[in-house]
Amino acid sequence: MKRFFSDIKKFGNYITYSAQSELKAEVAGSFLSWLWWILDPMLYMAVYSFIAILIFNRPEPHFPVFVFVGLNVWQFFSKSLKSSVGIISANRGIVSKVYLPKHMFVLSKMCVLAFKMFVSFGLTAVFLIFDCLFGDPVQITFRILYLIPLFVLLFIGTFAVSLFIMHFGVFVEDLSNVITVVLQLGFYVSGVFFSLENRLTGDLAILGKILTNVNPLAFIMADMRTAILGGDSFHFVAFAVWFVIASIAAILGVRLVYNFENSYVKVI
Amino acid sequence: MAETVITVKDVKIRYRYLKKISLVKSMFSLKKFAKTDYFEAIKGISFEVEKGQILGIVGKNGSGKSTLLRAIAGIFSADEGVIDLHGNSVSLMSIGVGFKRPLTGRENIYLSGMLLGFSKEKIDERIDEIIEFSELGKFIDRPVKTYSSGMHSKLAFSISAILETEIMLIDEVLSVGDAKFKKKSFEKMKSLIKDKDRTVVIVSHSTETLQKLCDNILWIHDGEMKMMGPTAEVLPKYNEFMS
Repeated sequence: MKRFFSDIKKFGNYITYSAQSELKAEVAGSFLSWLWWILDPMLYMAVYSFIAILIFNRPEPHFPVFVFVGLNVWQFFSKSLKSSVGIISANRGIVSKVYLPKHMFVLSKMCVLAFKMFVSFGLTAVFLIFDCLFGDPVQITFRILYLIPLFVLLFIGTFAVSLFIMHFGVFVEDLSNVITVVLQLGFYVSGVFFSLENRLTGDLAILGKILTNVNPLAFIMADMRTAILGGDSFHFVAFAVWFVIASIAAILGVRLVYNFENSYVKVI
Repeated sequence: MAETVITVKDVKIRYRYLKKISLVKSMFSLKKFAKTDYFEAIKGISFEVEKGQILGIVGKNGSGKSTLLRAIAGIFSADEGVIDLHGNSVSLMSIGVGFKRPLTGRENIYLSGMLLGFSKEKIDERIDEIIEFSELGKFIDRPVKTYSSGMHSKLAFSISAILETEIMLIDEVLSVGDAKFKKKSFEKMKSLIKDKDRTVVIVSHSTETLQKLCDNILWIHDGEMKMMGPTAEVLPKYNEFMS
């Protein structure tokens, strides 16, 4: 782990510069493309509002904020995973020419995605103000600070899973198909646009509880919503447990990649 | 006694025939994971290079020259043995550094420089020189995907030629671009190589070039060291062997 932190220090410049230029290239690439950083979550929200209002006929209170938190977290997680599968072959040119700890590719990509996530979290604030003006205002209290550790957990956890996926993505050619399906399932059991605990009631209430507690993303989303909107109680125990698990997984992932990274170039 | 900058000791490098596996295919095949075959590209090579020396590596195709060079560059580690660069910085020059195609030439200079371990300030100092040497002009601020292959290799060459490291590993690239740039880059190479403080390892098939540039020659045959010694001694024997 010592080596990992010194490598981060050494290649920190590279990570941030490559993330910055990727964002810049996206902006320069097509006219008004940065608008998509905002449009993309907005349109998705329209889709889920449609489903929740017309089909479920019972949207959650403060629905825009509710969906946004879920979507942002989910997109960050799923896009990190999806890009990690092929990230080594995508950077083939670099991998075969210089030595670079391969973790840096994942970190750089996550910086890009995190930036986009924070942009759309900015939109959440806009919706909150909107709610204050035209609907029932949300009381913002100090509990919102709880978002910070939740983001940290999200980042560590995503990093850990991405490392494992990057590693196996090098050797397993159809891993991306598997990931796509698993992510689809993950999307629905994480309650991106509905509350698992409110939706699964009666006989299924226990299932809702289990899903919220076993699925770290569902728990992160639920607690983030609570931090912003208030209401339910926090799952502090789940936080502690997941934090430990995520940290251990990240350490194992870092080690795994260090052990095998020099053979990646022989495979791709 | 001159300072040793590269120590290669009993190095063995194997390719594991690591084939990609498919989850679906392996579900339907009886032998789950076929026994991995080994192919030993380098079968125990030891040598040392002293500071300021120019070492040429020769050998027929597939004898392990490029593998050895990549191992010295740290791109993959030796399966056995030790490669010690005694803390010197190293860069591998070969055709086309890993550029990110959607990014501009300028951004790619920074990225490549950082990959070679230079700080942003260091690159700031040298960037004008790189751009000038590459003769790309206005194209430097356009995405690399719009470059012609000649421009691509000119930029790649300029980066590694201007951002110089203590050890340079050159894989079969002594001249790129059109006739004019070729001459210029060859001159630049020569001046870089002749620098007393720089240690250079060149892999090439052109015995003529090696004759002109190298002090010593390492001859590899099928992953084993066949001969190593002063250019005048080894090259004639190699030529004889190959003809």
